[in-house]
Amino acid sequence: MARRRRLLTSVLQSLALLFISLLFVLPIVFCIFTSFKESIEIIKEVTFFPKKWSLVNYDYVFVRGAKYLKYYTNTIIITMSSVIVTLLLSSLAGYSFAKLPFKGSNALLASILFVLAFPLAAILIPIYIMEYNLGLLNTYIGLILPNLLLILPFSIFITRGTFINLSRELEDSAEIDGCSVLQTWWKIMLPLAQNALVIVFVSGFYSVWGEYTISKSLATKDSIMPISVALTLLKSEDWNYGVLAAAITMSIIPPITIFAIFQTRLVEGMVEGAIKG
Amino acid sequence: MQNTIRGRKREKELWGILFVLPTCLVLFLFVVYPIAYTGILSFCDYNFAFDKRPKFNGFNNFKAMTEDIQFVRALSNTLVFTVIMFTLFIVLALSFALLLFYKKKRSWFYRTSIFMPIVVPASLICLLFTWMLADNFGILNKFLINIGLSKYAHNWLTDAKTARWWVIIVSIWGKVGFGTILFLSGLQGISSELFEAAEIDGAVGFKKLLYIIIPNLSETFAVVGIWAVLQCLKLFVTPNVLTKGGPGNATIVLYQKIYNEAFMNYEMGYASSIAFILTALVMIFSILNLKISRREE
Repeated sequence: MARRRRLLTSVLQSLALLFISLLFVLPIVFCIFTSFKESIEIIKEVTFFPKKWSLVNYDYVFVRGAKYLKYYTNTIIITMSSVIVTLLLSSLAGYSFAKLPFKGSNALLASILFVLAFPLAAILIPIYIMEYNLGLLNTYIGLILPNLLLILPFSIFITRGTFINLSRELEDSAEIDGCSVLQTWWKIMLPLAQNALVIVFVSGFYSVWGEYTISKSLATKDSIMPISVALTLLKSEDWNYGVLAAAITMSIIPPITIFAIFQTRLVEGMVEGAIKG
Repeated sequence: MQNTIRGRKREKELWGILFVLPTCLVLFLFVVYPIAYTGILSFCDYNFAFDKRPKFNGFNNFKAMTEDIQFVRALSNTLVFTVIMFTLFIVLALSFALLLFYKKKRSWFYRTSIFMPIVVPASLICLLFTWMLADNFGILNKFLINIGLSKYAHNWLTDAKTARWWVIIVSIWGKVGFGTILFLSGLQGISSELFEAAEIDGAVGFKKLLYIIIPNLSETFAVVGIWAVLQCLKLFVTPNVLTKGGPGNATIVLYQKIYNEAFMNYEMGYASSIAFILTALVMIFSILNLKISRREE
């Protein structure tokens, strides 16, 4: 009796999870399927599965749609620069907060984390005015720098947490061997903090890749816009579902791929924890 | 010897300051200075297109707000959305996390799908939804017609009532996975002995949730609560892409209002004073949330 009841609960649980998962996955799958349909099929017969698989939309994006590729490169440039600078800054600052305390460093750390609470809206107006006066509006640097504040505080939090758990002896023995602080950080500590750096990279990557508010406010020229903003403005001009679906599919694949790689690490960590526990 | 140790300590402190200097520089230029400037601007009249420099005008901006119908609507929408979305975030994220927690085997697919929307660009997801919800060739209406519910087919985003709900649904859809991760890791942090002891005592189902799970998650509740408050008050991408605040002012929120005033009308002073209000709201709700979850402890 109890066994039958347990089986029933487990089946119901799986069904509920399946239903919920489909709600999250289907829109994305629908977008991918649509990108393989021809325009006539999209408008005349609204179906989920493509009747005839066609690459015409991708052909348009790659061959004729030079601007889509431009948006794509803009996104890549902005994202990669922001993430690389964040990796550098957060591994420096995180190390300082964990291992090189100075007067007031705790208060400084607290105020850096406090930044996360401020709405971007309160910050973007002066940044716009400042960038206008410096001629930085519609430049890569003008978009990269504000993106840093979006991901830097969280990244410092992560790197600090890892550095603080590294043993004191490592640091001391490096010192005895005559390493300077800079050498200890670069040669000994940084390689041991790889996991934190991966988390900083992954979370920073998808935050900036999909960032909308900053670019929407600071990028007004077509030539500098990342794909997350540019596609939403296409509406009136060339509103072609197939091409749009192809462009969206292309821009959701990089973050999903990186996430999938990260996800297996996460699962491994969980399984490991379960075995040890 | 004493001197070298002290010298070494001193040297380390210097390196410590040097290591945080670049971060501080970036954050000072792009956070501290802007916040201070927004504070000043909120008491100024400053149209970026016409005025050479900001003119101090006292509390005029704040007085103007009370007569600005769009602002009042944006404020009430923000509060209503926050209450509804906050509740949905907490309830759904906790339910999903519980389902995932009890499904020990083969949960990889479910977990990945619930988390996936977080990593894809939110604005593009909204774009996707605008055409799935479209009147003529939207797949939702087509689906309703196909299963014989054609009377429910609707122009979802141009009707004020349904547009509001879709803004909420799409926002939840895109973000709830993160809350789920937080709750899930909180649940995994509860010791399994506690669960076993509770089961022996006969606590099952809802009782277990009420007496074992929720009291042991207070830390997680505080974190998820703050996260959810920020998501709700900072709501911008979804209404901006789905409805642009419309139809009429049906889905306008404070964030959208700030954007309109600052980057479309170039009223930097007025926009700053609204941003000031929004920031105050964020602080109040965050502190409130902390107070409540502390008391539960």
